[in-house]
Amino acid sequence: MFTIIVYTALVVIVISLLIFLIRIFIGPTVSDRIVGLDALGVTLVGFIGVIMILQDTIAYSDVALVLSILSFVGTVAMSKFIERGVVFDDD
Amino acid sequence: MTTIEIITSLFLAVGAFFTFLSAVGVIRLRDVYSRVHAAGKSSTFGMIFLMLSTFVYFIPKGIFNIKILLAILFVFMTAPLGALLINRSAYRSGVAMEKNTVQDDLKEVYKDELQESSE
Amino acid sequence: MALQILLNILIAVLWMFLQSSFTPATFVFGYLIGILILYLMRKFLIVKFDLRKVRIWALVKLFFLFVVELAKANIDMVKVVLNPRMDHQPGIVAVRTKLNTEVEITLLAALISLTPGTVSMDFSPDNKTIYIHAIDVPDKEEMRKDIHNSFERAILEVMR
Repeated sequence: MFTIIVYTALVVIVISLLIFLIRIFIGPTVSDRIVGLDALGVTLVGFIGVIMILQDTIAYSDVALVLSILSFVGTVAMSKFIERGVVFDDD
Repeated sequence: MTTIEIITSLFLAVGAFFTFLSAVGVIRLRDVYSRVHAAGKSSTFGMIFLMLSTFVYFIPKGIFNIKILLAILFVFMTAPLGALLINRSAYRSGVAMEKNTVQDDLKEVYKDELQESSE
Repeated sequence: MALQILLNILIAVLWMFLQSSFTPATFVFGYLIGILILYLMRKFLIVKFDLRKVRIWALVKLFFLFVVELAKANIDMVKVVLNPRMDHQPGIVAVRTKLNTEVEITLLAALISLTPGTVSMDFSPDNKTIYIHAIDVPDKEEMRKDIHNSFERAILEVMR
């Protein structure tokens, strides 16, 4: 019973990830793609959490931690890039 | 089912629902600024519940995994900043707002800059 | 200086959690790494606020305000996203604020981003006005009053 619930949650999350991917493909502007990638990064962290329950291991907790930091850094870098065309500014 | 499994399933259901809501919002809403609402809030909320369910599931096995809570903390702190940056960069690069927008107080601030970039 | 030592101890404890080993040797190693990190980031640590003035109880209240507002915001999102006609009226509203230090304005912007239907977008050059994108603005004066009454007051309670 418990396994069925976990699998159902996993399927719902995978469908959500696919919908984010559709948004990333169809655009229409670069900002839309950044929104999709940001949400995809956050949702992937939750996906790894469900995988940890399913496989009964805590080995992936480092993966979740690093992914949660890296997705934010990626969002910031892409936003800064389309704003002015530079990632690092001096002021 | 044990008590801990029932709590875990509840958290999983809430988390999966809000993740799906965020996906529906991102595909259904009509401009970037509204999509940021769905992507920034609902997916963060869903992810918090999914990670809480993972944390709760490992408690009776005697494992207190602080790294999971740290991941929640990082996402909770950085999600508002990410939403702000996406919104600001979208406005500065001139993404149009949707048609039934009723109010735009930022238009005067960026009037000169946007005209320069469009010429 | 007290803030630096507090941050350094915080980094050392964080290092112990990341290593999953709670021995004094790990703590000392984390403290040394913390000294290196704080030395490299000394240009960014110009945030000045008096630690003795921060009230713990008000800080706990602010944190719970964050959590409650996030929950309310998501219930609001359900209504907007699942509404079949999609007739919400978005808009950008300028809100003036009384807060003046950078920490307070950052907190206010983060808090606005988590409230029902609003995301902060931009600041004016003098840091006195926050531009907010709201997904539904039937009455903008009421929205401004709401932000002034609940969030600004909560942040002022913590900081002053």
